[in-house]
Amino acid sequence: MRQWGLVTGAAVTALVATGAITYAVAGDEGASDAAPTADSADAGFARDMAVHHQQAVEMSYVVRDRTDDEEVRRLAYDIAQTQANQRGMLLGWLDMWELPKVSSDPPMTWMGMGDAAAGKDGALMPGMATNAEMKRLGELDGKRAEVFYLQLMTDHHKGGVHMAQACVRACEVGVEKRLARGMVEGQESEIELMAGMLEERGAAAR
Amino acid sequence: MGSAKKSSASRTARIEEMRRAEQARERRNRILTIAASVVVVAGLVAGTVVLVQSQSDDDGGSTAADSKNPGKFVTGKDGVRTWEGTLGRNHVAKAVNYPVTPPVGGDHNPVWMNCNGDVYGDEINNTNAVHSLEHGAVWVTYNADAGKADVDALAAKVKKTPYTLMSPVDGQKDPIMLSAWGHQRTVTGADDPDLDAFFEKFVQGEQTPEPGAACTNGLSK
Repeated sequence: MRQWGLVTGAAVTALVATGAITYAVAGDEGASDAAPTADSADAGFARDMAVHHQQAVEMSYVVRDRTDDEEVRRLAYDIAQTQANQRGMLLGWLDMWELPKVSSDPPMTWMGMGDAAAGKDGALMPGMATNAEMKRLGELDGKRAEVFYLQLMTDHHKGGVHMAQACVRACEVGVEKRLARGMVEGQESEIELMAGMLEERGAAAR
Repeated sequence: MGSAKKSSASRTARIEEMRRAEQARERRNRILTIAASVVVVAGLVAGTVVLVQSQSDDDGGSTAADSKNPGKFVTGKDGVRTWEGTLGRNHVAKAVNYPVTPPVGGDHNPVWMNCNGDVYGDEINNTNAVHSLEHGAVWVTYNADAGKADVDALAAKVKKTPYTLMSPVDGQKDPIMLSAWGHQRTVTGADDPDLDAFFEKFVQGEQTPEPGAACTNGLSK
């Protein structure tokens, strides 16, 4: 009798384990049906990354007016298009979840970094440029504008990658997690690309 | 006294016998436990393998030649081949040795091929086309065995579908092939229903590594 108990126990264990694996596999993307709450990682990332992206879009428009260099103008076009569209996705999700676009908590509170964002002179989150730096970019020309843009964008991407990694870890909405993962990989690859472009211009990241 | 001694000896023997029986039972139980565990583990392994390979596995021959893109195609029930393995995402200026033709991802040129319904009459650099796949485009390719009527019909379809592009690829094995990042299939012609299904699933689909990126302002030839 004890043997049968053992065998039954083993069979139950196998069933439970199989179920868990199936759940884990099926639940990888988009496990939850309920809309996220305002203090969730999903909502926080959508709010904060929309703001972070907006400055990269703006910076890219500015440099396109300051240089004729095809390579930098194309990179700026790519970043502006991509991040403007991704920002639209993030804001669209907040609309669908009927959540506010702002929070009374400091930026990045959802990832335990509410005290890290200085907010000094318009640099609301790590990696963002100050208002003074944005103004200076708009006054430089040619190669000096290209170098400053590549430096500002490298910092911007580093901050962006760090925040996107937090969503990859903590977000629960599958499509958002996937977008965040794409941001991490895409921006890391662009950081390398920009390092090469800076080197070609006799400069380096700040 | 003698009988007491005898009975004591027989009690010792009986205890010894019981102990042996108990040990045998324990051994049997241990073997059963081990056997049951082995069955469970084997079942789990088999189950996992079945889960992982539920998309059926074939299409040998296209295993990685490129050490940076190790992997292989796995063909699904719908006939779509999915790349199982890593695909590089770096921007490189030089040629890339892709493991499949046409390529479905990997390191690529910094400039994407325009893919806003663009039809190219000549071969294009695959390193630029792969960048378009990264932006969510579907790449329609054909070789010399494709019929002219099909090529014309495909071109008309691509021209009215943003985030697609089309070009000849002489080295591909089938007359008409469709590629997206990490995915590929063969279709029989322009009116093959699998063509529409592939477009619907992969034009700016879930597989897109860089959602929102543009198909304009890249290379136009």
